[in-house]
Amino acid sequence: MPISKDRLGGLLLLAFCITYAFLSQQIRLLPFQESSAFHARTMPEVLSVLGIGLSLVVIAFPGSKARLELAGHDWLKVGLFLALMSAYGLTIRPLGFIASTSLFLMIGFWMLGERRPLHLIAVAVPLVVLFWVLMTQGLDVFIEPLPTFLRGGS
Amino acid sequence: MLEGIMIGLTTALSIQNLLFVMMGCLAGTFIGMLPGLGPMSAIALMIPIAATLDPSAGIILMAAVYYGAIFGGSTSSILINAPGVASTVATSFDGYPMAKSGKAGKALAIAAYSSFSGGVIAALFLLVAAPFLASVSLSFQSTDYFALMVLGLVAVAAFAGKGDMAKALLMTVIGLMLSTVGTDQTQGVPRFTLGMIDLVDGISFLLLVMATFALSEALMAILKPKGDADRLKEKEASENLGSMAVSKDEVKEMAPVIGRSSLLGFLIGVLPGAGATIASFLAYGTEQRIAGPDKGKQFGKGSVRGLSAPETANNAAATGSFVPLLTLGIPGSGTTAIMLGALIGYGIQPGPRLYIDQPEVFWSVIVSMWIGNIVLLILNLPLIPYIARVLAIPSRFLLPLILFFSLIGVYFVSFNTFDIQLMVLFAIAAVVLRMLDFPMAPMILGFILGGMMEENLRRALLINNDSWSFLWERPLTLAILMIAALCLVAPFLTGKIREMKDRAYERTSSSGD
Repeated sequence: MPISKDRLGGLLLLAFCITYAFLSQQIRLLPFQESSAFHARTMPEVLSVLGIGLSLVVIAFPGSKARLELAGHDWLKVGLFLALMSAYGLTIRPLGFIASTSLFLMIGFWMLGERRPLHLIAVAVPLVVLFWVLMTQGLDVFIEPLPTFLRGGS
Repeated sequence: MLEGIMIGLTTALSIQNLLFVMMGCLAGTFIGMLPGLGPMSAIALMIPIAATLDPSAGIILMAAVYYGAIFGGSTSSILINAPGVASTVATSFDGYPMAKSGKAGKALAIAAYSSFSGGVIAALFLLVAAPFLASVSLSFQSTDYFALMVLGLVAVAAFAGKGDMAKALLMTVIGLMLSTVGTDQTQGVPRFTLGMIDLVDGISFLLLVMATFALSEALMAILKPKGDADRLKEKEASENLGSMAVSKDEVKEMAPVIGRSSLLGFLIGVLPGAGATIASFLAYGTEQRIAGPDKGKQFGKGSVRGLSAPETANNAAATGSFVPLLTLGIPGSGTTAIMLGALIGYGIQPGPRLYIDQPEVFWSVIVSMWIGNIVLLILNLPLIPYIARVLAIPSRFLLPLILFFSLIGVYFVSFNTFDIQLMVLFAIAAVVLRMLDFPMAPMILGFILGGMMEENLRRALLINNDSWSFLWERPLTLAILMIAALCLVAPFLTGKIREMKDRAYERTSSSGD
């Protein structure tokens, strides 16, 4: 049976709230804290009840019956961009800011349809270098520009 | 007050801060013009830069970005009928038809003059209202603050509309839940850290804002790419603006509209949760009703009044939304919630004591609003033909750049690569929830207010010997909670009353037949 957007969202958030409620019971309390009116678990417990209750309301009384349209969306590209962002996070330290960011931008431009190598480099590299200069010289925020193997010192 | 204005003027008129106002207005206009990226994303993108400045300069920069982004949003509404933010949707009703009839320059000028007037008049109101409210709220206790926060959260959800209220409330609770991640403030107990040391300090609000707004907006644009026709429209619109001159008759027509809409916008902006969107629609509707049959017919076809009213009101409301932020420390909108997060980051606690303890921050924000509006008018308006070219930047270059600025903005604050992975995770969740039409702003508001709410509740219980009776025994707390309850039931009550009226009307008309 096809499910409406509201119900689907409600179900997903219900799962989240139940997990949250379960984890809230894992919060460790010292013996004297357990008897006090307000402790580290109080707010999470109240929120768990509210969250589960509201999720059920959304599921039981959906505001709209519109259904999720998956067709016509470029899911693959979004997935690839998510992977690219994650890879950027993993490479920014070992490759240094300039190489990792230039690569990130060039791959991003390429994935969205820019195929001319000169354009890829001419937009990405100067922009990254300029940004790095602005941040380090203008705002005193230092970020390692070079890959690990090119860095001097220890 | 005069002394305060002088403090504000001295701070805001320093060369450095003036430069930040100009930079902020320009950057805000630039970012706000990009469809999808509104003031929230614009301010979030600026936080890493603002964090390196002193508090006054940082807040001035963010306030300027706010105005700039609203102005930029209006520009894309007028030129390509693609409002960057909900608050400029009403602008497109008459702005776009005007632009289509070859008067894009005039429409932009009317929008700019109206925004300027709305912002300046509302800043005058703010000047009077903020210190007054701050002095009144000095008597507020933690119980009242807790109740006010409940009201703020409920009001945002209530204004989401009858059908979407449960969803908005649920998202608020999700935001509150996310705020509990990390070490408990008073007992030092780790909560929901899943054994990860990176989560011990909790989730950074900047990370959450960037992931749920800027990143997810860019990912949504990748998910639903624009057609060639849309791109051509954007390119053409950014190149042919026409004359920017406004005639005397048009100025005469705008003047009373600006007066009314400024007051309306400011009052709506002060209310927690209402914000610029409702103000702009209300001002548009009000002007349409009082315009008379002849002028009323022009609405939706390029009416000067129809363009001026929402533009004035949304800027006035943006200014009004600073009243609860500066005086109570409670943000009235998602945008001011982000500003509150930034203020807390500086170690500043907005609230009634702000204008006593840190008058330079309080007054320089107010003064910078005037300066920001003047800068918008004299600097941004003439530059619009050039700034509008941003609409012609191909999305294949623009989208990866937005992703980069969002990721690096967060990384530059923490220098922790774990944050980038966490952003990716939140961005996935945000894209899914957006596809399912779940609103993000209530979640941010819940997240920002969560810590303070818990703290005030804890304090209230401590003062009341662990008794919850303060909820109904203290009149002010009870009154605020009653208003919150009213906000919750009002949409249902008005719906029922309307249904009853419709039924009664049907009955009388059928008996008349």
